[in-house]
Parts: sequence; structure tokens; C-alpha cells
Amino acid sequence: MTFIQTILNILLLPGLAFTLIASIWLAGVDRVLVARMQRRVGPSLLQPLYDVLKCLGKETIIPRKANEKVFLLAPVVGLASVLVTAMFLPVGGVSALKVNSDMVVILYLLTLASVTLIVGASASGSPFAGVGLSREMVAMISYELPLVLVMLTVGRVCGKGLATFSLSTVTAYQAANGPLLLNPVLWPAAIAMLFVIPCEVGQHPFDIDEAETEICEGVLAEYSGRPLAQFKMMHNVKMYVMSGLFCAMFLNISTGFILADILIYCVACTLVTFVSMSVPHAVTARFRVEQVFKFYWTVVTGCAALSLILVWIGL
Amino acid sequence: MENFPILAIMTLFMGAFINSLAGRRSYKARCAIVFTTMAISLILVLAMVPSVMGGGEIVCYWMGGWAPEADWAYGIGLEVDALSLFFGLIVTIAVMISGVYSFTYMKHDDSQVNFYTLFLMLAGSVLGLVLSGDLFNIFVMVEIMTFTAVALTAFRNDTEGALEGAFKYLVVGSLGSMSILVGTILIYACLHTLNLAQIAQMAIHARNPVMVIAFGFLFVGFCTKAFMFPFQPLAADAHAVAPASISMMISGVLTKCGVYGLIRLVYVLFQNIGQTHVQYLVTGMGCVTMFICVTMAFNQHNFKRLLAFHSISQVGYVVTALGLGTALGLSAGLYHAINHTLFKGLLFLVAGAVQHQTGTLDLDELGGLSKKMPRTTALFLIGAASISGIPPFNGFASKWMIYQAAFSKAVNTDNFFYLLVCGVALITSVLTLASFVKVAQSAFFGQCSVLCRDAEDCEKGMLVPMSVLAVLCVVLGLIPDQFGTLFLKPAAGAAMDPGVYISAMLRGADATVMPAIYGYVGAWNPVFFIVLLLIVTVGVTIYSVSAPLRRPEPLAEGDVEDEHVLPENAKYEPFFSGEESVHSHVGGSDLFWGFKENWKKYFSFWHDWHSGIVNDYELYGVVFLAAALIYCMLFV
Amino acid sequence: MTFNYFVSFFFIVLGLFCIITRHNLFKVVIGMSVVDYGTNLLIVSIGASNKGTAPIYAEGEILPGTWFVDPIPQALTLTSIVIGACITAMALSLVIKIYHRYGTLDTREIRRLHG
Repeated sequence: MTFIQTILNILLLPGLAFTLIASIWLAGVDRVLVARMQRRVGPSLLQPLYDVLKCLGKETIIPRKANEKVFLLAPVVGLASVLVTAMFLPVGGVSALKVNSDMVVILYLLTLASVTLIVGASASGSPFAGVGLSREMVAMISYELPLVLVMLTVGRVCGKGLATFSLSTVTAYQAANGPLLLNPVLWPAAIAMLFVIPCEVGQHPFDIDEAETEICEGVLAEYSGRPLAQFKMMHNVKMYVMSGLFCAMFLNISTGFILADILIYCVACTLVTFVSMSVPHAVTARFRVEQVFKFYWTVVTGCAALSLILVWIGL
Repeated sequence: MENFPILAIMTLFMGAFINSLAGRRSYKARCAIVFTTMAISLILVLAMVPSVMGGGEIVCYWMGGWAPEADWAYGIGLEVDALSLFFGLIVTIAVMISGVYSFTYMKHDDSQVNFYTLFLMLAGSVLGLVLSGDLFNIFVMVEIMTFTAVALTAFRNDTEGALEGAFKYLVVGSLGSMSILVGTILIYACLHTLNLAQIAQMAIHARNPVMVIAFGFLFVGFCTKAFMFPFQPLAADAHAVAPASISMMISGVLTKCGVYGLIRLVYVLFQNIGQTHVQYLVTGMGCVTMFICVTMAFNQHNFKRLLAFHSISQVGYVVTALGLGTALGLSAGLYHAINHTLFKGLLFLVAGAVQHQTGTLDLDELGGLSKKMPRTTALFLIGAASISGIPPFNGFASKWMIYQAAFSKAVNTDNFFYLLVCGVALITSVLTLASFVKVAQSAFFGQCSVLCRDAEDCEKGMLVPMSVLAVLCVVLGLIPDQFGTLFLKPAAGAAMDPGVYISAMLRGADATVMPAIYGYVGAWNPVFFIVLLLIVTVGVTIYSVSAPLRRPEPLAEGDVEDEHVLPENAKYEPFFSGEESVHSHVGGSDLFWGFKENWKKYFSFWHDWHSGIVNDYELYGVVFLAAALIYCMLFV
Repeated sequence: MTFNYFVSFFFIVLGLFCIITRHNLFKVVIGMSVVDYGTNLLIVSIGASNKGTAPIYAEGEILPGTWFVDPIPQALTLTSIVIGACITAMALSLVIKIYHRYGTLDTREIRRLHG
């Protein structure tokens, strides 16, 4: 029974099927919202799905300078790693996989996803991809520090004297004491996390690694066909994973009814996507690479560190 | 069984002797002698594993049968407990692999017989150091080790900077040897014994200023041998110019001796790791080292020099973990120590292979090797993923344990310092990843440079040792729990409970030691999600293999692959647009411009700090010695 | 005895000072030797005793009130002297090689590996 339940969890509800649907939904909503804010009509809600499907049908071209195996394998590993990351997110209090410190696993799997992007770009042999991967790496260095600090803060609050790296403990704490977002001490950390999300996903003001106008899609310059579809899908799933992570860490509302919880979770994810990704996308222009780094290591890290210190001294 | 340790050490020294007599004859005879010696030594060490690791036995051997009388150790003893054996294993395995690699790698050098004589002496001295039960013996072994390592560093003295690196290593390294000797002799002045077990038994009762100064000297001495900050320039110089197999020995084995010394010192000899200030000292050292070295690696464009800085950075992790003073921290440190030997050895051997095939180590001159040397590239990627802590490789497992240890320490003691430690460790990990991306992009992927055009995969003699290391990297990452139970738990337990060590050496002596209050916390098992990751990956792969691919058409006869290749800036040509390559920020060594731009001052400060002048390095060392002594006098 | 300790530490510090401030390779090597001498003096001083004689006795000859110097530090000193000589020889041979290659003995010019 438990085995079947686990399999079902992995395949259906908090797992693969839900992840794919949710990520398409979030990516679509994001595009529609950005368009509306910019007074455009915008694409249909399913446009991200159409994009991916279209790429799947196209021929895959391998550049002469590319290392074929790494070039083709990188998107696969990237997609797999974000899909597995999604398994750790508790949807309505249920997650497909549980280990005793899933926050570190999530951190590492997200890093792995970025690394595959970098390695794939590197293997494509294009100088544009070379510049793109260097920017992607700088972006990664930028957001990693605040992300770690936010996780430490949340873990400290929810651990009851013993800090925790476990998302299930975090959600259980919120089920008992109300969402963490109600705690003013954690507001700076939540703001920092909201800034981490677009950079981790590579959304517009922080999409320095694929800046179309400067470096021709950067890391994705040489990709086409199925590998491109996989990278696009990875991007969509990452959107869901990061929004879901925020919800699990700060916005977990528990009513006791699992269906209601799932519904609330979906709404919360959409809200987070809107606040952290659509709004900055619509209102700002792209940052320069050294600005991103500076911004994250001063403002965002400052916010996260402020929360951490407040929590540590016992407020 | 009692004879095994001394036989393992003597075999290596005898091998050196026999090799210098008979190895001159032919290449084959030399290889046979060296291989047999290393194999015998490895087998002897392995033979001790079941009883020492599994049964908790401690092997003691008294030279010349001078066993202790009336609880007083007169003779020189060898004592092998689980901790010594753990490091003994690291040493013998690394020696074996490095030696086998050398057979092919050094084939074209002259006076190879001297190389192998020195190599075996180095191996013997290192093994002697970790198995020894006598403080003065440790000093002698350290000296032999430094001496042979210096000679081997300068072995290819026609390469740029080899002599210089060796000289600096010798001068500043002798500061460390001097510290160890002075510390030893001060301990002797207080306790009138040189036996480790007896010192451990008595030192806890003799808390006087002389003992504290002795602690300071020994601490600095072992830090020098582990190349901790501020001694990292030596490692960088020595690694960069030594033959690759020796770089592997220096990073994988010599630094481990320093680490071993530190563990023995704080956990067994003085048993003062329970003091908060000693923890600050050791952990702080480790943290500073790992961060400064990883940022220094950003500036490098010599492949091996970059690896050298990373090597020291990883040793910083090890020292940080063992300075926490908890069983989990020590196990994490030991785990990372063996992992460091494996992945760093692999990376140095890969660098050696690249140098062997292309003749250069300059990252700006290399490029596009992945198509010419696919196997080497695969091995490099495994090593790079391991050192950057990417699952499922071994670096992930041990780094993960280190974070866990630092974090739980911070929580248990409610001390903000350890939280900072945790943060620094995580950031260092990302920066490590960044600079390996740089290496991958500059040397292995991207456009093919002129020097790499005719490169091809190296011979089996070099590929096999590298593959062994790569396999070990993967295996150790997949079985952290089993490895922990079999090796880490006994080794950490041996260090945590010095009473057993003392009473095994001095039979019948009552061992008063600090109470062992530590429990072993299990490592987290990653198998679960890795299996899932593999399944999903396989699924997606099967799907994407069926896609239509359009491969590039084969080149026509006489076509050159890159028509417009220029030797210096071929890789980034489209971006120069008439600009000089030095002003462009897309060069191999400047890949992370956005990051470096913000830290310009920091980088240039450390760049100038590593001035390359031996006087400066000695000055840093002496200042550090003085600071450590003052710190010890004030707080310990 | 205290005087010995002072002198030995003075030698060690003098040697280190020499290594730090002198830019000539030979003087650096001399500094290393001076550090060695200081250490050796320290070792011997620790084993010494004012009234002590050579520690050569047959069994039963040692009575309460017999003073002899501690033999172990002397043995250690011998080892240490031998090691010091080796290190000096090694350093000097490196200096010769460096001079051939770089054409100078000034440490400030022998810095091709830096940064």
C-alpha cells in the first residue's frame, strides 16, 4: 500500500504530472500577466506548452565544434534534476520524497540544474555560449549566498532550539503556528527570497545569461530541437520549484482538508510568481552582469543577514 | 601482525635502496622493483584493516624489543590505531596510483632511477609519519618528507620556476620543521618522554606555560605541513612546477600528514579540542584558508597552479571540520580528507596528461580538448564534479557532512561563529564550482587551439590509474553510510577516545583522559534520490535518443577546421573586434568578469600579497608563528 | 641553564630575522643554519645538568645522588645536526642551480612564480 502510494505520489500528485501541469500554468500566467502589464494582448495561456511541443518536433542540429555527448546529455540531466527537486516540495502537506534534510538537497539539485546549463553551453563550443555561461556562473554566485542565509534563518525559526534543514519540519511548524510570513522578523528574509527567485530561474531583469539582444540567447545559442525543448521545460519547472519553495518556506497555510490545502498552495504559487517574476519583468530593464552581483551581495544578502541575526538573537 | 607496520615502512625504504642499486639496468627492472615494493606495502597495510578497523585492535611494535618498563616508554614505538591506519590507507593507495602513473608519465625523463628512489623514500617517510608512535620520529619523518618532496619538486629543473618553487618550499618548510622540533623538545623538557601515548597520558595534568608554547609550536609546524594560510603560496609554487604524479603526492599525501598531525595534536596529545578557543583557532584557520585559496584560484591561468590553490582550499574544509570537535565534524573531516586525495589526485593526473599531450598548462593556450581527448575530458568532469560537491560524487557526500556538522555545532552551542563557518563553506563550494567551470570552458570545451590540434588521448598506463581514482570517487559518493560505519566511525572513535590509545601502548597504565561525550551521528543517505535522478535521466535520455539528429558533415579533404585560428585569441575571436586580447574580459582567465570587477581591490591585494619573494613568505610564516604563540598563551 | 635558553632562542630569532631581511640567497641559507644551531643548542641545554657526567654506567653503578646528563637529547641533537646538514647541502645545491638559471642571487628577482 505504502509502496503504491509512494509510486502514485511520485508519478501523479505532488510528483511528475502535477509538476508539469503547474509549471506550464505558471509560465503561461507569467507571460499573460507581463503582457497585460505592458498593455499587450499577449500569448495564450498554453503558449509555453506549444513552444516546448514545437521544439520537440524539430530537428536537432549539432554544431561542428560541439562535444556531441555532453551537448546532448546536459539538458537531460538538467531536466531530470529539476523534476526530482519538485518531488521534495510538500503540496498540501504531502511530498513525494522525504529525507531528513531536503533543503540542502534542493539547494544542490538547483545548483546541478544551473551546472548542466553551463556545461551544455560550454560543450556547444560557441563563443556566445561562452560569454553566456560565464554570466550564468556569476548569477549563480550572486544568489547562492542569500539563498543559503534564508534557508538558515527559516531552519532556525522552525527547529525549536534544534535548527532544521527539513522542509517537512518547516511545514509542520507552520501548520501549527501559522505561516512564517506573519512573523515580521522574517520579512527581510522573505524579501530576499523573492529576489532570489527570478535570478535562480533566469527571469527577465536578471536573465543576463541569455540576453538575446547582446549575446544571442547566450547559453542556448547553439541549441535546437529536443535539447532546446528540454532546457525550456527545465526553465518552466524551475519557476514552479522556486515558487513552491517560497510557499513551503513562508506561506504554508493548513486548513486540515487536503484538497483545500492543494488549492491554496496553487493560488499561493501563482501569487509568488506574479510578485517575484512578473512584476519585475514588466517594470524593469535588464541588469548588467556586475550590477547583478553587486545588488545580490549587498542589498539581498543584507536583507537575509538581517533576518538571520534577528532570529539568532532570539527575537 | 605486530610486525606489519614496520615491514610496510621498511619495504618502501628498502625498495628505494634496491632501486638505486638495480634499477639503473633497465626500465622494466625499475618498474618491477617499484611496483612490487608499493604493492607489498599496500597489502601489509590492507592486512591490518580487518582487525584494526573492524575489531578495534591497536597494533604496537617496539623497535628492538624495548617495551615499556614500569609504565615508562623507553624505546621507539610504532602504534597503529584506526586513525593512523585510516591515514596509512590514504597514503598507500595514493602512492600506488601515483607510482603506476609515473611509469608512463616519466618515461621520457632522464635519471629516472633517482626519481623512483626519492619517490619511494617520500612514500616511506609519509607512511612512517602516520604509523609512528613517537614524537621525535614524527619530526625525522617530516624532515625526510620535506627533503624528498623538495628534491622531487625540482626534479624537472629545466621547467620554468621548478628550482625557485623548490627553494621556497625548502626555506619556508624548514620553518615548520623547526617549529615541530622546538615543540617536541619543549614537551620533552616538561614530561621527559617522547612517546605519544605517554605524552597524552601526562599532558592533561601538566598545564603549564611551557606546554602551551609547545602546543603553539607544534600547531604551527603541522599547519605548515598542511600548507594552511599563510603557507599556501608554497603549495601553489611547488604544485605548479612538480611533475604531475608528485603534485598528486604533495596535495593528496603530504597535506594529509599535516592534517593527521593536527588531529593527533588536538585530539590525542593535548586533548584540548574541547576548549572553545582551540576550536576557534583550528576552525578559523580552516575557514580563512579555504576562502582565500578559492578566491586566489580565480586569478590563475596555469592549470596546475589553479588546482594547487583548490587543493589547499579543500584541506581548509578538512581542518574546519575537524576543528569543530564533534564526532560528526571529525568524521566529516576524515571523509573529506580521503575524498580530497581521490578527486584532487585525479585532477592533477588529468593536468599531467594534458601537459604530457600538449606541452603546456596555460589555460589561455589550451582549448577544445574534449574532441581530441574524450576520455581525459570525461575523467576531468568526474573530478571537477566531485570537488565542486555535485551529487552523486564523493565531494557532495563529505561536504554535506561538513555543513551538517558545522550547523549542528552552531545550534547546539548557540554560537554565531559556527553559522558563519557553515556559510563560508557553502560559498566556497560555489566558488570552487565556478573556477572549475572556467577550466572546463578554457581547456576542454570551446574552440580548438593550435597547441591542442594534434593532441590525442594518452596511453593506457596513464588512463588506468586515473580511471581507478574516478571509480573510487563515484563509489565513495554512493556508499557514504557503509563507508562511514566501516572506516570513519572507528577512525573518529580512535581520535575521540585517547584512553584506548594510551592503554594499548603502555599496558596496564591507567589512562586519565577527557571524558568521551561524543556520539556518532549518521551521515545522510543520498541513495534514494540519486536512484530517482538516475531513473528520470534514463527516461528522458531514451526519449531524446530517438530524436532526429543532424551531425555536421565531415570535412572535405584538405579543409582546415578553423580557417581563422590565431594562436593567442582563437577562442574568443568574435569578441575582440580589433581589441587587444588583454583588454578584453572574455579571456579564459577572466571568465567571471562581473564577479571580479566588484572585487577588484580584494583580488589585487591578494595578488600582490603572493609576491613570490621568499623573504616575504618567511615573514608571513614568522608573523603567523608569533600570532599563534600569543593566542595560545592568552587563551589556551 | 637559563642563559643557554636565552642564547638559543636568540639564535633562532636571529636566524629568522636573517631569512626575512636578507635578499641574498646565500644569506638566506646561512639564516636557516643559524636557526638550526639555535634549536640544537636548545635541545642540548634541556638535557644538560650542571654537575652531570657522561651517562655511561653499568648496571648497579647508579646510586642515589649520582648526577648524569640526559642522554636522549644528545641523541636527538645528533640526528638534528645530520638533518640540518642535509638541508643545507640541498639548499646550497639549489642555489647553485638557481644562479646558473637566473643569473642572480637576489631573491627579489627570483619571483617568476607569483600572484
